[in-house]
Amino acid sequence: MALSVQGLRKSFAGRNVLTGVDFTVSAGEVVAFLGANGSGKSTTLRCVMGITPPDAGSISIDGTPLDSLHSGDLQRARQRMAMIFQKIHLVPRRTALDNVCSGALARIPTIRSLTPLLFPAEVQQEALDCLDRVGLADRAFDRVGRLSGGQQQRVAVARALCQRADVVLADEPVSALDPHAAEHVMALLRELAHTEGLAVAAVLHQPELALRYADRSIGLLQGSMTFDLPSTEVTAKHLDTLYAPDRGVSDRNFAA
Amino acid sequence: MTPQALLPTTRREPARPSRVALVRPKKPLRWLTTAAVAAAVVGLHALAIEGTDFKPELLVDGWKGMAAFVADAFPPDLSWERTLKPGLEATLVTLWIGLLGTTLSVPSALLLAALAARNTSPHRLVYQAARAVLSFFRAVPDIVFALIFVTAVGLGPFAGVLALICHNTGVMGKLWAESMEEIDAGPQEALRTAGANRIQQVANATLPMVVPQFVGLLLYRFDVNVRSSLVLGLVGAGGIGLLINQSIKSFRFDSMLTHILIVLVLIIVVDQFSAWIRRRLAA
Repeated sequence: MALSVQGLRKSFAGRNVLTGVDFTVSAGEVVAFLGANGSGKSTTLRCVMGITPPDAGSISIDGTPLDSLHSGDLQRARQRMAMIFQKIHLVPRRTALDNVCSGALARIPTIRSLTPLLFPAEVQQEALDCLDRVGLADRAFDRVGRLSGGQQQRVAVARALCQRADVVLADEPVSALDPHAAEHVMALLRELAHTEGLAVAAVLHQPELALRYADRSIGLLQGSMTFDLPSTEVTAKHLDTLYAPDRGVSDRNFAA
Repeated sequence: MTPQALLPTTRREPARPSRVALVRPKKPLRWLTTAAVAAAVVGLHALAIEGTDFKPELLVDGWKGMAAFVADAFPPDLSWERTLKPGLEATLVTLWIGLLGTTLSVPSALLLAALAARNTSPHRLVYQAARAVLSFFRAVPDIVFALIFVTAVGLGPFAGVLALICHNTGVMGKLWAESMEEIDAGPQEALRTAGANRIQQVANATLPMVVPQFVGLLLYRFDVNVRSSLVLGLVGAGGIGLLINQSIKSFRFDSMLTHILIVLVLIIVVDQFSAWIRRRLAA
């Protein structure tokens, strides 16, 4: 099991955002998190990544619980997870290659990471290979700001690959993209999972994308899980329970 | 009857009756706040007018003095040997003072800015200390720094350069720190999750993100510093300011006007130059 999470809890200012979330993601598998706004999908990923400290819960990578590790070992274990963001978070002025190299910063001595000119040649070669794996080797020396949104998100995936991550946590990776680019990025994540054995956990806002690209889908409602099923077994009824509170509001507003 | 005649020309009523009543929520306190702010602004201006002996009638009564002064200055003295040549040479010195004062303060301003920006500072105490140092350099006017350095290195442009380096470190460091705090924190967070240490995060996310703002502020400070070095000339730091001061003291108002016209050209050239660079950066 690449990633295993048990009893994850988190509250912000007395409001329970996560009330005990348990799930696993295996190598070679894409797992989608579905749910309405505020259901705790993104908080789940941020807690797993350690960006937001959880109140309780155990996170294991390849069977090793993170809370059994300290400083250096913990840092190394965390680096086996990479995060992909809705807002992409690349540096637009730098080239695709330099941005991908920055995924490897943990392996580069500080003095050689002050400017891209000093990045070791083998890191640059590895970054180029990662760009090749996402189909963007020919854009390596273009500034990221000149690439389309979908291409930028693929560069962010390449950065995660250059980090040599086994687990990729994607927080709404396609919400800011047009439908065509969204399909492209989801297809890429599925291909990387199925052919290279990456474990992918993705928060998605479009259930139809989840059902087409994810092997398994997890539904979150007000901080707890309502289902954890192979995507082929998720029905319209399952989805209705997730988005019902949202729809209740809009029903009232648009009633004739 | 043509088909057009069947269409109504104006609509007499709304398409359908309103179902919601337009009632703005009442906020009685907002009126009071507006009135209080207005009263405070008026009061402060009354105090300021009192405190600065602001009397426009004096200006009306004393117009003859001004007219005589301006008449003395016309026509500007355009003799090459006596006014133009020394003026141009001194203007060049002024430009050099402004240039060195700006560029030589880049390393110190960059270091202090990185320590004084909340998102890049290594520790809260370091942050507070760096802010205090920047405040000090900003609070001491460049003209005071110039007087201090004149006692060390003597009269001349070098003292002016040193003074500008000190004052500009304070101002540019603060401006840079603020622009670093304002940029999107996302790329830095992304590198943190990838295991990059703090220096790596700053060098590979924060700094490359703020380069355009930094260069814009640097050019703005260059523009300001060239004008400051003019004033520094008045206290003996060389350059065209010194010549303006000398021509006033020797009642050579026509030379003074020539020098001021040269300065005007210099300021316009510097301004256009920095605008050109900023346009190229934005493109």
